[in-house]
Amino acid sequence: MRGTAPFRLGLWLAGLALVFNGLFPALWILFTSLKTEAELSRIPITYWPERPTLANYERAFREAPLGRYFLNSLVVAAGATVLCVTVSAMAAYALARLRVARATLVLLSLVALAMFPPATLLVPLYQLFTGLGLRNTYPGLILPHAALSLPVAVLVLYSFFRTIPRDLEAAALVDGCTRIGALRHVIIPLSGPGVFTAALLAFVNSWDEFLLALTLNPAREMRTLPVGITLYQGEYLFPWPLISAALVVALVPVALVIALFQERIVAGLTQGALKG
Amino acid sequence: MRRPPRDLSERALAFWLLLPAFALLGLVAVYPVLNLVFTSLRELHLAYGPQSTFVGLANYERLLEDGRFANALRVTLLVTLVTVPGAALLGLVLALLANLPYTVKWPVRLGLLLPWAMPLVFAGLIFRWFFESDYGVVNDVLRRLGLTPLFWLSDPRLAFWAICASVIWKTSSFVALVLLAGLQSIPKEYYEAAQVDGANPWQAFHRITLPLLAPSLFVALIFRTITALQTFDIPYAMTGGGPGNATETLAMYIRTQTVENLNFGYGSAMAVALFVLCMATTALYLRFLQRGEGE
Repeated sequence: MRGTAPFRLGLWLAGLALVFNGLFPALWILFTSLKTEAELSRIPITYWPERPTLANYERAFREAPLGRYFLNSLVVAAGATVLCVTVSAMAAYALARLRVARATLVLLSLVALAMFPPATLLVPLYQLFTGLGLRNTYPGLILPHAALSLPVAVLVLYSFFRTIPRDLEAAALVDGCTRIGALRHVIIPLSGPGVFTAALLAFVNSWDEFLLALTLNPAREMRTLPVGITLYQGEYLFPWPLISAALVVALVPVALVIALFQERIVAGLTQGALKG
Repeated sequence: MRRPPRDLSERALAFWLLLPAFALLGLVAVYPVLNLVFTSLRELHLAYGPQSTFVGLANYERLLEDGRFANALRVTLLVTLVTVPGAALLGLVLALLANLPYTVKWPVRLGLLLPWAMPLVFAGLIFRWFFESDYGVVNDVLRRLGLTPLFWLSDPRLAFWAICASVIWKTSSFVALVLLAGLQSIPKEYYEAAQVDGANPWQAFHRITLPLLAPSLFVALIFRTITALQTFDIPYAMTGGGPGNATETLAMYIRTQTVENLNFGYGSAMAVALFVLCMATTALYLRFLQRGEGE
């Protein structure tokens, strides 16, 4: 049945439906961003741009500090990723490898604490960070974003560390390594893939986060991409051409990361979600 | 013979390794939640000054009489009730499609991963366009089919459905990714045996796929429920809660009361209510995980 023509046609159609569902909104934005104002205000709407132009991109960078938003997102996401993965790797290593009383309970409580809903943390974090002078600063977003990604990072790293054979470490200890030495010479060199996966997920989480970024860092020069682009809109007018161009700029890195590391992301997501 | 001292140092090492994680969560999760409960028992309205007074459960009593809160709670629960099963269904279809034996796999992966990785608020902005009455894709399709275009985002009921559709599109990819992993862990032999026994594809799906997929489906459902209860980004970008407050969710109302009106005491009581709702769901999830821990 596999090689028959109807089967192969069905396969094609199924794949096309899936890809269309996933990519149509993004492609539509891409095409929209290349249209002229005149073409955008025409009914019936066009799908394929008649005379593609980059004018919207130029305006998006000129009329709002899109470059600055991009930089802010990058700094916050990178900072949150480094902090989250460092802290999570330490905790996950202790839970997976060392004798910890009630390790499962500790693991679950770490995950549960990090799952406190951002919407409910809004009020106290707003007050706390106002008091500490952390509003509209990078650390003020890096800290909560790192905490937000902690459950998935801990779960991914925990299940990864458990796949490293204990014998390797035991051998290092017998050879006279200290615990820290075994960690440095055995575990860390082998941890690359796990750490990388956790880092990818933490990065995407932070890059996408909106509510806390909107509330804690609303100052124009401190906005992340999602906040900056959403606030493009005035009270009544909704500047489509600008927003579409800005969205494309903001989505390109995401699409690149996905294209390059699909397998890792899928593996990490399922590890984080399914394993405890 | 050197066991006891090493054991001790191992414990000390574990303690120091766990400390930063708990310190981070203490600062941005535990302390805030305790503070939240404390603030919810006080009258603290920053617009009238920094002084606060203990008012007991007065803020919670006020919740019961606040029609806007009742509406936000209703919208939140309805969004959850519609989008969680909706995303599960679409996610299941996507996962089954993605699990077919393609020779080129990357476009399929990209089709699943791009919606997953796209910020919610961007999906909201894009779908705001889709449902725009003059230039939107949805009305364009309706017109081409000879149907009447609708005012999707300015009619309260239609706006609700437009938001739900957008949330389902955005979140089904996550469900699909989790289910896909579940599908791929089902041994092929089961299907071969079923085929030998003369089962048709529907029977194979019903008797093998669904039961073995149940754990993954459950995990995805719970995750989705917790995030659905906190829906903010998509309605914020699509309607800003309007028309009126028709599509305002709890998370949106909390933000308006606190960050915009600076009414921290009352807003905190609302946030505690949402917190309890979410934690009850999380508790369910953790119980499920613990049950699976037996291995």
